[in-house]
Amino acid sequence: MDIAAVPAWLEASTVATAIRNSLYLFPLIESFHVLGVSIVVGTVLVIDLRLLGLASSRRPFTVIASDVFRWTWMAFALAALTGALMFATNATSYYVNTAFRTKMVMLVLAGLNMAVFEMTARRSVGDWDRDTAAPAAGRRVAILSLAIWIVVVFLGRWVGFTLSTTAAPANEEINLEELENLIPK
Amino acid sequence: MKPFAEWLAQTAPSLAIQNHEWVIPTIQSIHILAICAFVGSVLMIDLRVLGWVWRDHSLPETTARFGPWVWWALGVLLATGVLMIVGEPPRELLAISFWMKMSLVAVAIAAHAAVARRPVKALAVAAFVVVVCVIVLGRLIAYDYVWGSWSTWLKG
Repeated sequence: MDIAAVPAWLEASTVATAIRNSLYLFPLIESFHVLGVSIVVGTVLVIDLRLLGLASSRRPFTVIASDVFRWTWMAFALAALTGALMFATNATSYYVNTAFRTKMVMLVLAGLNMAVFEMTARRSVGDWDRDTAAPAAGRRVAILSLAIWIVVVFLGRWVGFTLSTTAAPANEEINLEELENLIPK
Repeated sequence: MKPFAEWLAQTAPSLAIQNHEWVIPTIQSIHILAICAFVGSVLMIDLRVLGWVWRDHSLPETTARFGPWVWWALGVLLATGVLMIVGEPPRELLAISFWMKMSLVAVAIAAHAAVARRPVKALAVAAFVVVVCVIVLGRLIAYDYVWGSWSTWLKG
């Protein structure tokens, strides 16, 4: 299957159609996307500030990481699932949207940044676990991580403002003219 | 409320925001970043009450670590929130979601003030559920029609 055909297929899927035809599903899914993103970025902030020595600096890094990361991953799963559902509803429009594409690149960069951390500073964590801040390699990862996630949040909002098609429902019983005023932003 | 919203929309600060397309998405993005700091911080406090995180620290130590972040985030949320009201008065002030959200913001703050003093597990869970409802209602401002006829009584 041609990769370019995937968005159209997704958009025509039963799940995407059901979400489009519901007044409530898209807003609710988007709300839980915001919840997931908030917990991801909020917990990443805790980790990054610890690496930089700006908060919780007297607590061992490994203890904070084991406290926080499980919540980061659970929230990421929620954000990814709700994000995928939103993507499916209008896949062909999201697929060509610059803000959306840039956001996906940023998420890949966030993953690579984490991989770099695992391969560098994390390997010697025993040497600096109780230090006020991580070594330079760890601090660089933290700064990059903060920058990437801030950009991700901005781009996420920009997707909503630049998408060519609105996610407003296409329910036949609904007066489309009334909905004109209700196009979500 | 409707005459006030219509008056506010004609004021110079409101027009200034309306005339620059990038302002509203930028304010919303900053608002969401503050939500991230707020939610991450209250999540840690609530999970500490449950005894799931920060177990090597007492609850007062945990609230001392995250409390200031909660208040700073609330300050940014208030400032960006006010700017969004000024920039799009009818969208916010005539939305039933907005007023439900504001009511629950008060409940969320009161509930967390109570949790910090008396660490009751059920209260911590309830307080976080209220925060989740605040987030959902915040997003529903953009989709106020989900409330059906309720959403029209402020719009008149």
